[in-house]
Amino acid sequence: MSSAYLYSILATAAIFTLLALSLNIITGYAGQAMMGIAAFFGIGAYTAAVITTNGGHFVLGLLAGMLMAGVCGAVLGVISLRLQADFLAITTIGINFVMVAVFNRLKITGGTLGLTVKKPVLFGVRMNNKYFFYMTVVLIIILCLLLVKMRRSWFGMALASINNDPGAARSFGINVNRYQILAFTIGSAVAGLAGGIYAHRMGFISATDFAFVVSIQVVSMVVIGGLGTLRGPIFGALLISSLPEILRFADDYRELVYGLLLVLMVRFMPQGLIGEDSPIWLLLTKIWRRFFPKKKTRADLIAESAKGGGH
Amino acid sequence: MEELMRIEGLKMYFGGLKAIDGFDLSIYKGETLGIIGPNGAGKTTLFNAICGVYVPTAGKVIFEGKEVQGTPAHEMAKKGISRTFQISKPLSGLTIFDNVVAAAGVHEYTGIRSYFHKAHTKDVEDRAEEVIREVGLAEVANKKASDVSLGYLRRLEIARALITQPKLIMLDEPCAGLSNFAINEITQLILNLKEKGQSIVLIEHNLPITMKVCDRITVLSYGKKIAEGTPEEVRTDKQVIEAYLGEEDD
Repeated sequence: MSSAYLYSILATAAIFTLLALSLNIITGYAGQAMMGIAAFFGIGAYTAAVITTNGGHFVLGLLAGMLMAGVCGAVLGVISLRLQADFLAITTIGINFVMVAVFNRLKITGGTLGLTVKKPVLFGVRMNNKYFFYMTVVLIIILCLLLVKMRRSWFGMALASINNDPGAARSFGINVNRYQILAFTIGSAVAGLAGGIYAHRMGFISATDFAFVVSIQVVSMVVIGGLGTLRGPIFGALLISSLPEILRFADDYRELVYGLLLVLMVRFMPQGLIGEDSPIWLLLTKIWRRFFPKKKTRADLIAESAKGGGH
Repeated sequence: MEELMRIEGLKMYFGGLKAIDGFDLSIYKGETLGIIGPNGAGKTTLFNAICGVYVPTAGKVIFEGKEVQGTPAHEMAKKGISRTFQISKPLSGLTIFDNVVAAAGVHEYTGIRSYFHKAHTKDVEDRAEEVIREVGLAEVANKKASDVSLGYLRRLEIARALITQPKLIMLDEPCAGLSNFAINEITQLILNLKEKGQSIVLIEHNLPITMKVCDRITVLSYGKKIAEGTPEEVRTDKQVIEAYLGEEDD
């Protein structure tokens, strides 16, 4: 395997990892059904591409893509307030199809012919797959650090509460509507960022790159890895991205394999392969704990003291 | 006695259904007020209309001298009105401890700014521990809420309400579905709160408990108040007996 080929696979995997993490913010943390992430991936891609083809800087393009996808995500967030689980899922599917139609029709997006995007120059080097890969990895690391901080903050607590029970969340002061809109905005903005990188790494984009199938592929990544964890979507994205290489022989049936995997996972292992409480993850933690005993949390200490107290 | 909350002419209609039809009530500081009534009388609807889950069709809810009717539920919690649910609403994926911590953030959920404030500070954890011990949840503090029994979930409801340091706590059937032993424990818990001077509104189906813990009782039937007074007065009220047992045939 040549290194250029390897980096092309790695760059794609990294971009989809970013995309999986973006979906995880909306569906994993905030618990909102989202089956149309590719629409926002596309909005970011086209916005960034239009900016750079008109002479804008690559970084400006990425930021504009993020902003545009974020604004559109906020609109979807407002819509989501009136929709419950299944209806929201169907609505987001619809939005995906509408956006593909829009990309196909608009003059600025190149219509059905698509858009050719020049490879950008960053810090004096023309970006190739290798640089796109490293750049995306840096962004993934930054995002992960931000997400770790989020989960420990009141913001993370609010999303976790809404995910578990919106009624209870309201009863202790959480403005559910506001946080739901924020989750859609942030998640969509990250998807838009991934889109901007994707457009420039590919050099050419057309509406089919952002079709519903892509949304499902990202959902598969998140669900197969483990919804609502940080490790799950990353693992899922790497796994699904490398599947085409592993499943070379079954190239024509790739989508069938995704679909089958998704159905089997949801039926038999809804926590995902390495998600919270998945058998595999529990086993791994058990082995890990042998060497590195668990640091007792405050909750553990309280429980122990109560049991020691003669209960 | 100082008035904490006053409800004037509250109406809650759902289409043609008059779930609450002109309800007046005063709640005083430090008292325990019981709301009883047959199934379907509108007790939980009344709670929902007061706590901002529903916007009342008409009428006023005055809390500490300010009109608060129609304020969204999350704002009510910040004003110091905290309620529990008849059907427990645990955050199932979180531990009991984290459930209580989540509720401790009542004044911290400020939108994007809340990203910059850590939830598990020492102060918050200390307060959560204190409440958890107070309501008797310590032995399951590190268990996930999905793994504990209903008795604990009922206590969790009370713990989450308490940690918001409410001026008024509204308990919606805290004993529903519990064994006699567990009912006694919850009753004792309510009595302890009362002793501390907590203002309490209690909806309860179990009449002996209501009679035991409440200073005053309001009886609701078909969305209207049919009696109000001390437990003794209510117990002997003819209309109340009729509402519960039906009218006597001649």
